[in-house]
Amino acid sequence: MGKFILRRAAQAILVLFVATLLIFIATFVLGDPFSSSGEKAVPPAIQAANRAKFGLDKPVPVQFVIYLGNLLRGDFGIDFNQSRPVSELLAATIPNTLRLAIVAILIEIVIGVAAGVIAAVKRYSFWDVLVTVTTTLFIGIPVFVIGILLVANVSGIGPFPAVPRSFTVVVPWYQEVLLPGFTLAIIDAAFIARLMRGSMLEVLRADYIRTARAKGLSERTVIGKHAMRNSLIPVVTYTGISLGALFGGAIITETIFQYNGVGYLLSRAIVNSNAPIIIAVVIFSVFTYVLMSLIVDILYAYLDPRIRLN
Amino acid sequence: MTRSRAGRSAVLLLATASLTLAGCAQQSNTGTSGGDSTQASVGYPETADLPDVAGKPGGTFRLGINEPTAIDPYNAQESEGLLVTKALFTGLVDVKPDGTVIPGVADKWTPNADCTQWAFDLKQGTTFSNGEPVDAAAFKRGWTRSVVKTAASDVAYHLGEVKGFDELQAGTAQDFTGVDATNPNQLKVTLTKADCEFVLHTITAPASPVPTVAGAADNKTFNDLPIGNGPFKMDGPWQHDKGIKLVRNDTYGAGPKANLDSVEITITPSANGSQIETDGFNNGTFDWARMPVPVLAQERAANEPKNQWISKKTAGINYLLVEVTKAPLDKADARKAISEAIDRNAIAQGVFQGSQVPATALVPASFKGAYQPGVCTACKYDPADAKKLAASAGLTPGTTVTFQFNTGSGHEEWTAAVKQQLETNLGLKVTYSGVPFKDLLKNEQQPTATGIYRAAWGADYPTAGNFLAPLLSTAGIGAATANDVAQGDNRGRYSNPQFDQLLAKAAATPDQAARDDLYKQAEKIAIGDDLGLIPLWARQQFRLANTAKFGNLKMDFFENPTLGSITLK
Repeated sequence: MGKFILRRAAQAILVLFVATLLIFIATFVLGDPFSSSGEKAVPPAIQAANRAKFGLDKPVPVQFVIYLGNLLRGDFGIDFNQSRPVSELLAATIPNTLRLAIVAILIEIVIGVAAGVIAAVKRYSFWDVLVTVTTTLFIGIPVFVIGILLVANVSGIGPFPAVPRSFTVVVPWYQEVLLPGFTLAIIDAAFIARLMRGSMLEVLRADYIRTARAKGLSERTVIGKHAMRNSLIPVVTYTGISLGALFGGAIITETIFQYNGVGYLLSRAIVNSNAPIIIAVVIFSVFTYVLMSLIVDILYAYLDPRIRLN
Repeated sequence: MTRSRAGRSAVLLLATASLTLAGCAQQSNTGTSGGDSTQASVGYPETADLPDVAGKPGGTFRLGINEPTAIDPYNAQESEGLLVTKALFTGLVDVKPDGTVIPGVADKWTPNADCTQWAFDLKQGTTFSNGEPVDAAAFKRGWTRSVVKTAASDVAYHLGEVKGFDELQAGTAQDFTGVDATNPNQLKVTLTKADCEFVLHTITAPASPVPTVAGAADNKTFNDLPIGNGPFKMDGPWQHDKGIKLVRNDTYGAGPKANLDSVEITITPSANGSQIETDGFNNGTFDWARMPVPVLAQERAANEPKNQWISKKTAGINYLLVEVTKAPLDKADARKAISEAIDRNAIAQGVFQGSQVPATALVPASFKGAYQPGVCTACKYDPADAKKLAASAGLTPGTTVTFQFNTGSGHEEWTAAVKQQLETNLGLKVTYSGVPFKDLLKNEQQPTATGIYRAAWGADYPTAGNFLAPLLSTAGIGAATANDVAQGDNRGRYSNPQFDQLLAKAAATPDQAARDDLYKQAEKIAIGDDLGLIPLWARQQFRLANTAKFGNLKMDFFENPTLGSITLK
């Protein structure tokens, strides 16, 4: 087991290193950040001073080595626009993204599992058709459509804060997170409902369910205790991976709701060609994704010895 | 993404269709009427300022801006940063949008006979909001702090004419030798060249005074919580990406105190900031908003009847930068052919929905003394004449012309229309491409650059000279030889000794009317005769303003609301 974890951890580090290298190279395609100020050219002396300030006067490989060194000490450098430490920007936005991700996951599990179970148990009924049709619909709708619709029609009403709102308006996090959380959850909830319905139908045909019924257990116990628990396995896998992606920041949703998470941070940095932030957020996203899949793999290996033997 | 692309293609299709129609209509009456008579009908009319009302203290004014580069005066640059900096700091003088200089901390400014030395008499007893005096030393401190090499300010060049600037920028000196603050009540400035408009340079952010607590330019505390001498002061530090709150400075001494209790500035993302401002205005979050082009017509219809719509021609120009030293556009007639082959009216109607006004001069209308409508004789649509000019200049059908624009800023549609018109009217082969702005700039700068480039210019100071000198003077090229990269703003490399002489003469002419006259002569040469660049649209700005709640709400030279005079009604 220890050897397996070591091997997977080494792979994860390799993935992180390669991703860092690629994004570092990719951001140089953005061009020189100090050549223009708005739509005006910047005098060469100032350009040179700015490049020296941000360490861009050295060759790219040297810059990369320096960056890696700083990264190991938790230093993501300073951003090009306001010279703020990027680690501070991350520290301010990561908790918001994590909160949003967890709320979204909870919403999608509740809605998805409930809809899937109902559809499977009442197969071919009106409820089954309703679930099948709505899930098809939601899987097909891009997330920005739902986001924009909610911002235009729901935000500003009742407990849902207005978008945009003055920065002086203080909104508790659980209110702020509702609409973006729901937007993120709705499409994944549709996936989960389908997964749940499928695996539930399979399980309901299994012998042990017939045994349970034959023992005279109530239908409620059969569904709730025996069938549902086994059908949840594919859902748990899907949710784990989905959580890994959400922890890395939901760029579109956070931007539409102007939600102060890493996704919104990244989208603004891209518009401003603010390379240090872009690099840092990408590394963070890759890190969370790799970490989540590492945890899932280890859990699997723990549950199923066949995996760690390979 | 997909949706906006689809939307864009729809707009493009519509634009092309209406262009074709407008083109036909235009061609049929070209023979009888000139371009001027039709131009009055294009463009949203400017709105008149509402009558002033008596001020009374109170109220919170709310608006959205993009995250500024800096609000510390040493590096405040774009309109957003200047909005905050100008509210926090009052410089020597201030300006009205038409270039009229009004007193700031200085109540008198006098150049010597040849405009190489300036004396600014300061109002006595004014202070920063922390109680430190605003004297000549405070200005010298601020100027030096902005210009020293270690500040690496993007905007220090505003003080580039002051003696000692080069040494400070090179890092070989720490003292600004051209600025004399020995008399606390008078600031004496020595320039390295004659400039009778130097006083205008002192409206810029890096020319603000700073208190001793400012320290050096890299003082993070002061960068985010500047202490100034303006009508407002900070209420807590700048919350990056969230907002900035200002409150009235009750010890303000350089002019009338502000009426507003506070100003709440919410930071919006730059990608769609203007749409968010519009949404915020409509949901009651903001009292002032910019708008993206596609909603202009709709917002105008809804808000103009309520007097909540502000439309002003401002100090800027959209133009085509032409590489004038290289074939195929090295002859004036070739450039005029290009200009006359572009149907500005049709594009203004078809793409800009009538919101843009075709330009017939480089110097904008806001400078009444120097404005010469029609000085650009080739700024009309005349495809027949264009063909003749093209033939005489060797711009034969099939000639390849490069045309580049920058992507992501809404230039896709109208540049496509221009390309289409050049191909249809002159038979040119237009190599048309969109690149990020930084690449566009780099491409224009190269000694091998040819063809035309989409460009725009906004004035740093309200004077015609700030259009003519940077964009068309030889010094504005910023390249030692034709084989060097052009580091200045005249990247088309237009150069005419006669034009340069007129500008030099204008800079050394103290009398405003005489100076304007020289500017007119210079523009006549560079635009009328040589067409060193091709003017397209005059810059015009639109705002939504909550005039139901606030009075004295106008747009200043920097295209921001006049925070210092706004009052509750």
